Amino acid sequence: MPKCRFSDVKISGIVTCVPTLEKWIDDELELFGGKVKQLERLKKTIGLHRRRVVDEQTTAADLCEQAARYLIEQSAVEPSQIDTVICVTQTPDYSQPCNAAVLHGRLGLSKYCAALDVNLGCSGYVYGLWMAHTMIASGGCERVLLLAGDTISRLVNARDRAVAPLFGDGGSATLVERSQSSAATFFSLHTDGKGYENLIVPAGGARQPCTQVTAVAVEDEAGNFRSPENLFMDGAEIFNFSITEEPKSVIELLKYAEIDADAVDHFVFHQANRYILSNIAKRLKLDIAKVPMQTVERYGNQSSASIPTAICGELATALADRSSTRLLLSGFGVGLSWASALVEVGDLAVCELIDYTA
Amino acid sequence: MELDTFIKNFEEAVEDVEVGSLSGNTVYRSLEHWDSLAVLTVIAMVDAEYDLRLKAKELKQIETLSELHALLESKQST
Repeated sequence: MPKCRFSDVKISGIVTCVPTLEKWIDDELELFGGKVKQLERLKKTIGLHRRRVVDEQTTAADLCEQAARYLIEQSAVEPSQIDTVICVTQTPDYSQPCNAAVLHGRLGLSKYCAALDVNLGCSGYVYGLWMAHTMIASGGCERVLLLAGDTISRLVNARDRAVAPLFGDGGSATLVERSQSSAATFFSLHTDGKGYENLIVPAGGARQPCTQVTAVAVEDEAGNFRSPENLFMDGAEIFNFSITEEPKSVIELLKYAEIDADAVDHFVFHQANRYILSNIAKRLKLDIAKVPMQTVERYGNQSSASIPTAICGELATALADRSSTRLLLSGFGVGLSWASALVEVGDLAVCELIDYTA
Repeated sequence: MELDTFIKNFEEAVEDVEVGSLSGNTVYRSLEHWDSLAVLTVIAMVDAEYDLRLKAKELKQIETLSELHALLESKQST
C-alpha cells in the first residue's frame, strides 16, 4: 500500500462550480411507481433530498473551466505560472484528446505546461492531490492546477431508481504549490480491481463500443431500466465496500501520521449519501459535527467534485477564521479505488462555491 | 447469536415492520416492505450488531429468517 508524506507543498485555493438546475426527489414520485412510503423511506434513510444537474449542453469541462477562471482571478497566480494541469474526470468532453489539454487551451496556459487526465471518480480528488504533491515534491514543477469534475447525471438512466436520484454534477479547481513553511501532508492510496464490475458503465469503451443494441434500456429484476451505456451500481456491494474499507484506511492513515482522530478538525468524506457517511462515522466513532454531510443532500453525489464541494460549501467559514485547519479527506468508489489524505489547509487565497453561468 | 434478538434487530432494520410480527419461519423476501433499501439496512444492521459482512447475493438465496440466522452463525464461527 502506498503511504507517503510530503512537506513544502500546500493547497492555496479551492473553487467549486455547480450547475443551477435543481431537481427534487419529491417531484419524482412517478419514478417510485407512486409509492409515497418508499420515497419517504429513501429520503429519511438514505438522506436523498435535492441535487444540481447540468443541462444537455454543459459538460464537466465547462464547470471546471469556470471554477479555474475564478480561482486564477482570486489568487495571486498568473496563468503562465501554472506548469501542470491534472484533470480528474470520468465524463470528459471527448474520448480523445484529454480534458486537461482542452482546458489548457481554453484557459490560455503556457506551452511549458504538462497536461493529463486521470480516469478516476469518487477517489479521484485525493488521487489528484497526491499526484500534484508528488510532482512538486520531486522538483518537477512549482504549481499544479488540479481540476476535478464530473457530470454523472448524464450517465444514469432516468428510470433507474438505484442511481438516478443519487447523482449530481460539479466541477472544481484547486491550486497546489510549493511552500517552504507548510506542514506535512500524508496520503494513503488503495485499489481493489476485482470489484470493478460493481460500479461501471459497460458500453462506450473499446471493450464494448456503442451500437444500436447498447442504446436499448432493459428492465432488471428490481424493475429498474438501464442500457449498457448507462451507469450501473450494485448498491449493496458498494455499501459493504465503503463501510469495510473506509474506516480501516482512515485509521491506518492516522496511525501513519501519528495523529489522534481528536486532533483532526474535519473529516471530509466523498459525499456518497448520508447513510454511507453516517455509517462510516459511526464505525470510526467520530463526532458527527466534524463530518460534513449536507453537501450530498443539496447537490447530490458529485463523484470527483464532491470533496471540494464539501470543503467550499460547508467549511469555508471555519477555514477562513482558522478554527479548522487540519482536514482528513477521503474518497472511495469506482475502481474500486479509495484514497485518504491528511492535509493542513492554512491560508487559502480563495475557498468558494460558485454557480455556473452559461 | 440469539435467534430472538436477531429477529428483533431485523424487524427494527426493515422500516414499517411491526416489532413482534416476524418469526423464524418468516420468508422475509415476501414481506411487503422488502426492497433494495431493506437489503441495505439489513446489511448495515448485521455489520453494526454482529460485525459480519453479509452479501446482497446471500440475502437473495436464503428463504427464512432462521436460515439467515444460521448463515450468520456459520460466518461468526469462521
